[in-house]
Amino acid sequence: MTERERFIKALKREPIVGHVPTFELVFFLTLESIGKIHPSQQTFGQWNQMSASEKKLHIDYCADTYIEIAKKYHHSAIFIHPNPGDFDNTVRLLEAIREKSGDKFFTMMHGDPTFSMPEGSNMMEFTERLYEDTDGVKKEAQRRLESHVRFAEKMAKREGLLDAFCLCSDYCFNVNPFFTPDMFSEVIAPYLKGSIDEYKKMGFYSIKHTDGNIMPIVDQMVQCGPDALHSLDPQGGVSLKEVKRLYGDKVALCGNVNCGLLQTGTLDQVMEDTRRSLREGMDGWGYIFCTSNCAYTGLPLERYELMNKIWWEEGIYK
Amino acid sequence: MSITNEISLALQKGKRAQVQELVKKALEEGVSAKAILNEGLIAGMSEVGEKFKNNEVYVPEVLIAARAMNAGTAIIKPYLAAEGVEPVGKAVVCTVRGDLHDIGKNLVKMMFEGVGIECIDLGVDVEADKIIEAVKESGAKVIGLSSLLTTTMVYHAEVIKALEAAGMRDQVKVMIGGAPVTQEFADEIGADAYTSDAASAADVALSFFKN
Repeated sequence: MTERERFIKALKREPIVGHVPTFELVFFLTLESIGKIHPSQQTFGQWNQMSASEKKLHIDYCADTYIEIAKKYHHSAIFIHPNPGDFDNTVRLLEAIREKSGDKFFTMMHGDPTFSMPEGSNMMEFTERLYEDTDGVKKEAQRRLESHVRFAEKMAKREGLLDAFCLCSDYCFNVNPFFTPDMFSEVIAPYLKGSIDEYKKMGFYSIKHTDGNIMPIVDQMVQCGPDALHSLDPQGGVSLKEVKRLYGDKVALCGNVNCGLLQTGTLDQVMEDTRRSLREGMDGWGYIFCTSNCAYTGLPLERYELMNKIWWEEGIYK
Repeated sequence: MSITNEISLALQKGKRAQVQELVKKALEEGVSAKAILNEGLIAGMSEVGEKFKNNEVYVPEVLIAARAMNAGTAIIKPYLAAEGVEPVGKAVVCTVRGDLHDIGKNLVKMMFEGVGIECIDLGVDVEADKIIEAVKESGAKVIGLSSLLTTTMVYHAEVIKALEAAGMRDQVKVMIGGAPVTQEFADEIGADAYTSDAASAADVALSFFKN
């Protein structure tokens, strides 16, 4: 069974043997880990001036980077940041990954049409629109949904390249979601469900990510039908055990290793939190091991590698 | 019901136009700007803050109430000056160096203003030197530092060290907050306070000015 097949089984909450699958939504520490610049951190200002062979070299470099990281840390899935991010170059990158690694890895990319919570600079303007121009907000949400569906339809014609869309709009602070549950049901949930339904029809899996305390809206999120929820943020008070108890029969779960502890905790705390996540997540099926966000710029690599080592040694279904 | 109570209730519902009308009416009826501010606007915003602390309202509800408060405050501002009403105190707020996230900082600013604290907002990605300069210029007694990233929260400690080096640590209270920040971390770096939400931050800041 390939890593991709094992990942799919986890998404379907089916029994697997061996290691619980692992991946990272983003693994930014590529330079430190394997000496290669992360694709999203490269700038190709003269892309259209390049010869086809030079473009291919760059795309191969990006593909090699993703594959090398996945192999080094035994990831089952690769999340791509296409750069350049247009459709054709996205396809070329996925083709390169498939050419070099076959169907070994599950592939995914961004694909969330829903509004995330706003930045501080536009939070008032966005809030005013929520209250005073709800219909306009809904129309924009619908336009965004249609645009994402069009992209997915084009991608679906390129069979065997992409497996899933990650819906990464953040909705929540540590304390609470930005949106009230009523607002969520009106301006987010219909479009979240709409995109997931369309992706499903085209054969794509859907993984819904958000930081923070999802508990006031998690029921609505699950009802939208994603295959998995990511990242079950303990800094937002989200308990993997509790979400598993409530929704483990409806959705697969990814994450929960506390990024705060990975950054500033003691080594003992990192080890304990890794083991806790494995223990709680692997109880039953449908768990994908990873951090509670991603391997972000500035994360001490040795902490990630410690977490990964414990997973390798202990994250095994018996 | 008194007109200041009406202002408070309209503010809590985020009814900006109604707050504006009521504030104008109160002024016409001879209610002092200070009473409108304290018994109407600040009282209303405090109620919203209390509900926010208790997870009874969400951020958009706070923002829309703050918008109503700002609209009311704008009307009474010249009258406050004429009455010689001073702000409760001054605070410098910012998101620390390396961090561009500002929603938490903006919420804190809003809540600070909601209890009558004047804010000097330095924005995002702010160096310690700039914070020290702002404190010197404004005479602020409170600094509110924010970070969203685990990689930038360590800069809170750098600000405290810089204040110590400048011989100003005893002049100001340093409050810290943000998604990855904890009470434990605040204790470790010697911050004066940590709060998990913006409304609690305003309460704590107010207590610093009152004591």
